[in-house]
Amino acid sequence: MSDAHEHIDKLMQELRRGTITIGALSQLYEPQYGYSLVTTLKEKGIQVEPGTLYPLLRRLEKQGLLDSKWDTNESRPRKYYLLSDTGKEVLDLLRVEWQSIVTSMNNVMNGRGESDGDD
Amino acid sequence: MEMIERYIYAVTKRLPEAQRDDVAEELRGLIEDMLDERRQNRHVTEADVEDVLLGLGHPRNLARKYRGNNKYLIGPELYDLYILVLKIGLISVVIGFSAVFVIQVILNPVNILDYFINYIVSYFTTIIPMVIGWTTFGFAFVEYFSAGKLEKINIDKEWKPSDLAPIPDQGRQIKRSETIIGITFYVLIIMFLAFSSDYFGIWIFQNGDFSGVVPFLNQEIYSAILLLVLIVFGFGIVKECLKFKYGKWTVSLVVITSIVNLISITLILFMITSTQFWNPDFMSELVQHGIVNEGSEGYEVVRQIWEQMTLWILVLLIIGLVWDIIAGFIKVRKAKLKTKKHSKILG
Repeated sequence: MSDAHEHIDKLMQELRRGTITIGALSQLYEPQYGYSLVTTLKEKGIQVEPGTLYPLLRRLEKQGLLDSKWDTNESRPRKYYLLSDTGKEVLDLLRVEWQSIVTSMNNVMNGRGESDGDD
Repeated sequence: MEMIERYIYAVTKRLPEAQRDDVAEELRGLIEDMLDERRQNRHVTEADVEDVLLGLGHPRNLARKYRGNNKYLIGPELYDLYILVLKIGLISVVIGFSAVFVIQVILNPVNILDYFINYIVSYFTTIIPMVIGWTTFGFAFVEYFSAGKLEKINIDKEWKPSDLAPIPDQGRQIKRSETIIGITFYVLIIMFLAFSSDYFGIWIFQNGDFSGVVPFLNQEIYSAILLLVLIVFGFGIVKECLKFKYGKWTVSLVVITSIVNLISITLILFMITSTQFWNPDFMSELVQHGIVNEGSEGYEVVRQIWEQMTLWILVLLIIGLVWDIIAGFIKVRKAKLKTKKHSKILG
């Protein structure tokens, strides 16, 4: 049993790595700072550690998918991230890709129940 | 909240200078946000801070996430080449040091034990650390400054299955070992000429003991000569590298190696025809050491050989060059004939 858990941990880690990026991008039509994004994603059922998300945001900014701006008007300065024009374009394309993955994965994953229904 | 600052410092000191302030500021905001969430309406305690920091994880891991995935010194793109250069370097240096050891023993057999100990010790003090150290350093340097560009070079190239090189047949194929031996040979010559030029000449033994050398080359302008020698053999190494890259004899490879050969022969020509290249006192030194007596028949023979040496070296070099070109084309031709036969069978 613990063996299965180990495998699951590894596989889930790989699976999450890609989905977190997409998830983060999808929430950034409006500017958000890192921790507010953690909270938003959590509310929508996506758990992400700040220690993972913060470096990720920075990397996406470096790649040109996000723009950022420091807001120093509040009680503490915060760095806000927002989709760049490229980012928006990429996200639109990603949405299509994602839908097709979901559809085909559903087909594959539900296959077992249909083929040997006795199970 | 000194601990927060200590944590931030522990993370940012592992990051590139340019990012530090920005990341520090952002992390500070993050930690304060996380504390706010925990404390609700009470005061923040030391324990809260500890919990939050524990949640963020070891500063080293966080810094690593910020830096990206580059966790290696020499990446997969350079690794094969690195191992190859390391092999050539180690083989050359081991042969070189062994040769020096043998020469030392021949010259002075009494000290064999000393020489042997020195030889063994040099493995640990010079050979291994120098070769591995510098090779690794060089490659790590390239890796560091090319950050990510190497990967692109490999991936961006458009690739078609029709681009696949035909399987080279035995005659046309250049063996890896052949080029490695070639490069090793050049490195050894360079090492020998650079470090023990004194021994490049006629060795004089008196009563079985080594007493000196009559050098072939003019010692006074040796450093100038050495530079040219390095360039010439450097070209040799370039040639071997090209052979290694092509992996088989093609027309373009033959043409390129011929050009490289031509350049090095021109340089050699330039070198040995300048009057100062050879030791001007060669004959008189031989006489001094009692090898030949002035005016004797032997003296005349040696003198003639010595004076015509330049010419003979020239002739040999040109024959060598021509042979290299012919051999190259023969190999290319052979291979083409074979390929034709093969495709006839297929057709």
